[in-house]
Amino acid sequence: MAQFKQWALEYVLADDEPVQLELTKKAAKELEDSRASSTVVGNWAASVHQWMTLTHSNDDDQMEDGDEGASGDIISRAKALSFLAGTLEVLDKTILRPDQVQRLIGFFGAMFSYDHKAGITASAKALRQLYSMKNFKPEMGIKVLEDVCKLKEDFRLQTAVTRLEIYELFLSLVEDSAVSSELQHKYGSSCGFALDLLQLCSSERDPRNLMIWFKVIRRLLAEFSPSPEVTGEIFKAFSAYFPISLRSSVTPIGITAEDLKEAVRNCFSSNQRVAPFAFPFLMQKLDQGDAVTVAVKVDILRTIKACIEAYENPQVSVVPYIEKIWGSLKYEVRNGEVKETIDATLEVLRAIARKLDGSKTHKQEVALLRNYIDLVFGDCKDDLSNPTYTKQAGLLLMTVVTANIRGYVLYNAGFIEIIRQNLRQPKSSTHTRDLLLLLNSILKTRIELFKNRKDGHTEDEEQLRAETRTHILSLFHDVYLPVWTGSEEIDVLKQVALGLGLLVRQQALDAEGAVSLLCSGAICVEICKLLIVTLVKPLTLSSNDNQSHDATLEDDVVLALRTIVMSYTDGYGWIIRSARKEIKKRDWASPSEYSLEALKVLLSRLAFIGCSEIPTEVNSDTEPENPYSPLRHYDAWLWTLVYLFPLSLQSVTADSYILSSLHAAVIWFRDACEAKYRASALAQYSDSDKNWLAEFEQLPGTFFDQVESAAMLPDEIASSFGEDDPETYRQFLRLSLFIVRGFYKGATAEAPWSEQALAQLAQTAALVVQNLSEKLQVSCNLAQEAFSLFKTSEEKPCASPFSGLLTVGILQGLHPGAMTGLYQPGGVAEKFICDTSDLGSSPRASDIKAAVGTIYSNKYPAGPATSEEYQTLKRVLEFWTNKIKESVTSSDIDSDSFNSLTNVAMHTIAGAVARQEKLVLDLIPVLHEAAGSPNPNGEIVARSLGVLVQPNSEVLNKETHANIKRFYKQWAYNFLVRPLYDLARPGSDKDPKTTARYSIMILSVVKNCPFTIYQDDVESLLRLLVTALSNKKDDSVLSEEAAQAQVIAALEILVDILANEPSALKGFLKEIIGGTTKVYQESTPSNKTLHRALTTCRKLSLQVIGALPKTLEERYLLPFSRPTQRMLALACGDPVRKVREAARSARANWAKVV
Amino acid sequence: MREVDNANPSILNVSQLPSRSRKVTTPRQGPDTKCDDIVYSKRPWLCGSSSLEDEALEEEYGEDPLDAQDIYDLISPISDPEHPHTLGQLSVVQLPDIHLTPPPAGRRGDSLVTVTVDLTPTVTHCTQATVIALAVRYRLEQTLPPNYRLDVRIKDGSHSNDDQVTRQVGDKERVAAALENDTLRGTLDKMLETCV
Repeated sequence: MAQFKQWALEYVLADDEPVQLELTKKAAKELEDSRASSTVVGNWAASVHQWMTLTHSNDDDQMEDGDEGASGDIISRAKALSFLAGTLEVLDKTILRPDQVQRLIGFFGAMFSYDHKAGITASAKALRQLYSMKNFKPEMGIKVLEDVCKLKEDFRLQTAVTRLEIYELFLSLVEDSAVSSELQHKYGSSCGFALDLLQLCSSERDPRNLMIWFKVIRRLLAEFSPSPEVTGEIFKAFSAYFPISLRSSVTPIGITAEDLKEAVRNCFSSNQRVAPFAFPFLMQKLDQGDAVTVAVKVDILRTIKACIEAYENPQVSVVPYIEKIWGSLKYEVRNGEVKETIDATLEVLRAIARKLDGSKTHKQEVALLRNYIDLVFGDCKDDLSNPTYTKQAGLLLMTVVTANIRGYVLYNAGFIEIIRQNLRQPKSSTHTRDLLLLLNSILKTRIELFKNRKDGHTEDEEQLRAETRTHILSLFHDVYLPVWTGSEEIDVLKQVALGLGLLVRQQALDAEGAVSLLCSGAICVEICKLLIVTLVKPLTLSSNDNQSHDATLEDDVVLALRTIVMSYTDGYGWIIRSARKEIKKRDWASPSEYSLEALKVLLSRLAFIGCSEIPTEVNSDTEPENPYSPLRHYDAWLWTLVYLFPLSLQSVTADSYILSSLHAAVIWFRDACEAKYRASALAQYSDSDKNWLAEFEQLPGTFFDQVESAAMLPDEIASSFGEDDPETYRQFLRLSLFIVRGFYKGATAEAPWSEQALAQLAQTAALVVQNLSEKLQVSCNLAQEAFSLFKTSEEKPCASPFSGLLTVGILQGLHPGAMTGLYQPGGVAEKFICDTSDLGSSPRASDIKAAVGTIYSNKYPAGPATSEEYQTLKRVLEFWTNKIKESVTSSDIDSDSFNSLTNVAMHTIAGAVARQEKLVLDLIPVLHEAAGSPNPNGEIVARSLGVLVQPNSEVLNKETHANIKRFYKQWAYNFLVRPLYDLARPGSDKDPKTTARYSIMILSVVKNCPFTIYQDDVESLLRLLVTALSNKKDDSVLSEEAAQAQVIAALEILVDILANEPSALKGFLKEIIGGTTKVYQESTPSNKTLHRALTTCRKLSLQVIGALPKTLEERYLLPFSRPTQRMLALACGDPVRKVREAARSARANWAKVV
Repeated sequence: MREVDNANPSILNVSQLPSRSRKVTTPRQGPDTKCDDIVYSKRPWLCGSSSLEDEALEEEYGEDPLDAQDIYDLISPISDPEHPHTLGQLSVVQLPDIHLTPPPAGRRGDSLVTVTVDLTPTVTHCTQATVIALAVRYRLEQTLPPNYRLDVRIKDGSHSNDDQVTRQVGDKERVAAALENDTLRGTLDKMLETCV
């Protein structure tokens, strides 16, 4: 006893929660140890006695005087009670006996009658704990409810947290099935306790409490069976809150206005018993007209929808109110302008139709749905002939008719008939368009209903099986075709095109349940022929006859045709045959630009129509030309391209368009596969070590011979996998590799193989190869094929100076692991890269070699430094470094040739830099030295150094498996540039030429680096920049070109610094402003060859000057204000518009510096 | 608030305003054009030093001396002091009413050029004509090089006091004095906010 008293006292005196928790745990332990003997429990309960007695001696009036002693009592009393409650919280829930629980409930329950000040929070908490005791009996629940309700008006005086505790208690009680059945047994439908609760909680405003209170209400309505009168009372209680909103608060409480709305909505939709109150109430709210905001209107509509969806027995709960609901709602759509309300309204109407149809397991009387749709039909039918309301009426009808399959089967024929009648006598072209739009929507919804036919009641599918379809079948000849031929309005024609697409996609069920296309093959063919004319037409017209720039109709035709051929697969054959015929008809020897454009567009569209999706397998009434295959269209399109190529030996552009179209087809189909099967589909094949190329060799003849079949894949392969089989993805790559190989084999030095064509083909190859797994690349030996270009030794090699592009194409797509073979000593790759004999032929030759070099040094698969492969790589890198070292001082090499050499060398090294290859570190000093050479070639090396941190991103990127380290620029900067700052600083004992070279090197690298990399060296860098800007123009140290390039680099870096750390410029303002002004003034457009560089200089210098006032405080700039403003005023008259714009903007910025 | 002089002026759409016709045609749109950039790239192989010169850039950097359209572009975006529209939209400024002497062709870089701008107020009794003329003059002074002389006038017969306004705006000292006036300066700055 003494112990409990002591703990209680300590608890009352303590302020720390952990301490209090510890004390309650001790008490609980004591109770548990005694196995809840009556004495111990009694002692425990009596431990708070000293505070309780005080309560009873003080009466309420005294306490309300608020003298300190009394309020101190209240606090300690509350704490004492919470000691008991806390003990219950940690006490083993099984330990108390029923009579003890009962007694404790009695004790704490009494607090609600006597002690409204101190007892409630702790008592509520204690009661919740007691409720969770094992020996809590349902009848005790009733007692708890009754006790708590005695709090009456004082309930609202409790803090929100205390009230929350009580709400939680209520919720636990009403959610407890034993307690609730006890309650029902005791109170019956009069639900007296509910009325007490309503009274108690009637003016709750705290959002957190409301959330629980609404749950309690929902429970009362749904699980108890209150009489209509009580239901009315409960309805009043929660509907008073509707529409509910939430004031925004500074401290977030974790509850949104949406949550509250949802909670109130759940009360409305809790039970059909509420229907007689809910619908009239909501309709009355809705009919208030303009007084209702959009948000509230949407809330009302969503609540109505929730009610309709939740109420059972619609015959009684929904049907009586339909007329009223419809009467109010139709105007929301017919005359409505706000999309949100219109959508929410249509949702309600759809919900009614679905409710009246029935559920998946139980269908309602058909008359219910019929009456409803008849009601809507009667009101909307006439509106369809009124252009102002066609759209809205159509929307309403669409919503109710196509809400479910039953409604659709019953009413679509009638609906379509009305549209058809109106289309015969349209009031205007927009009227026609709206009616067609409506018709198309019906077709679109039919597709959805058909697709989801198995989700609903089994009756639905049967109804679809038995539906009449003649009215849909006749749409083409009766509706679409006459409009297509009779109208010239683009908007109308677009709807026809889209409608035809939807029409062909329609499927039907036969008596056995088999699915096939609804339209006959004959109609589908007719539609294809009709539409393709639109796309082929530009080719047949002359440029004078075809002035239209609006291609939206053609674009919709393209979409429609794609829809069509994805269902009616034979359609694609028809389309490409007619296009092919038209293309072949023309002479492509010297086509006009117009014809070329028409060809390009046509090929692009055809590739999209056939290859941008995987076709679906559906039967048609006619036997298909070829068995279904997901690759059918892609195959047919490739075949067509092969067939067309070359169009002419004279027009290389036309031929390159064919290759572009091949590239596009590969991209489209790859994306389609990616979307449908995901890339992971490729990983699951274990037989990827097969050599596809060897398989191709076995095929009879080359594909160029297979003119007759109009396809390349043999039927037995094509039809061996279905629509959903990921094998499609693999076979697509196989077919693509096959065609790339075919074109590679055919590539020669003569027309049509222009540089453009070879580049296009190479990019296609790169795309195909990059999608193959490393294993497959190895087994096909693609690394070697990159150099043999798929040709056998007997075949004539491609002698084009650009054939190296084809090599780049394959190498680009390879994984590093598939490159291993190329690092054999003296191998084909090493020979190719280190052969300098062909560099003189064209500047492109060096670019191509540079690209091969970049990939070669970048995709080296990791290996030990002692390996032969690594030594080969080292040899290649050293070869090119030495080449530069030797030639830089040689006098018998002209600057063009030296440029070519440097180009290859730098790019080759750049590939290695990107993966931070250590070999590079040994090469850097050699490069530095070469650049410092007094020979003019040294300047070229210095200027090209930037390439090392800027390798060609088209050749090296992550997608093509390049090995690019994240911090390689930082790494390169440290070794390449850092050591140079000291050397580049001008000094009396240094050769000005050498220091200038070092400076060029630094700027050339820094220009290609982000600010963060060089920010630590900004100070040193700025010195160099200032020197670069103030160099004399006629200085013989640098060539004019190099000087110009250096100035541009300096200005670009300045722009970068200004954007990142303008304060660094403070110490150099005089030099920078002076320097840039000088650059501007000296970069006058005198020299034609340097025109662009000079213009860039002027523009950049103005940008630098203009950015200063925006980034630096005025006081720093004031001394320069006048001369700068004068100079900028003059610059506003610059001959180049872009420069003038920069000058004006700079002038405006400086105008504020006064 | 004072009633505005012309409550319902006719307003031109921005797309109707004269602009330098763009030489670059917009690329074709359409469902099939997603990969056009890749497959019809004009620069099929960006590689190394000798990549093709970009034609568009070349055009952008071509010489193109200041002409009437430039002047129009400078002053047409000035906001009207009364309406939420620009002088271009209200046709107060019109391209045919801007003249440069000597004309751009055959002009030397630093030769003296006179810019004449005739303004057409929306109504003949427009009280804001002076402010508008001043704003035009102020804007041009801020943006044209010093060898350009300005002559901002109210078109003959378009305003009941056209002579008077023209004379006012032509008087350098009066203009300078007006710009000292803070209220007026505030109005001008507000009008010029829409110029970029």
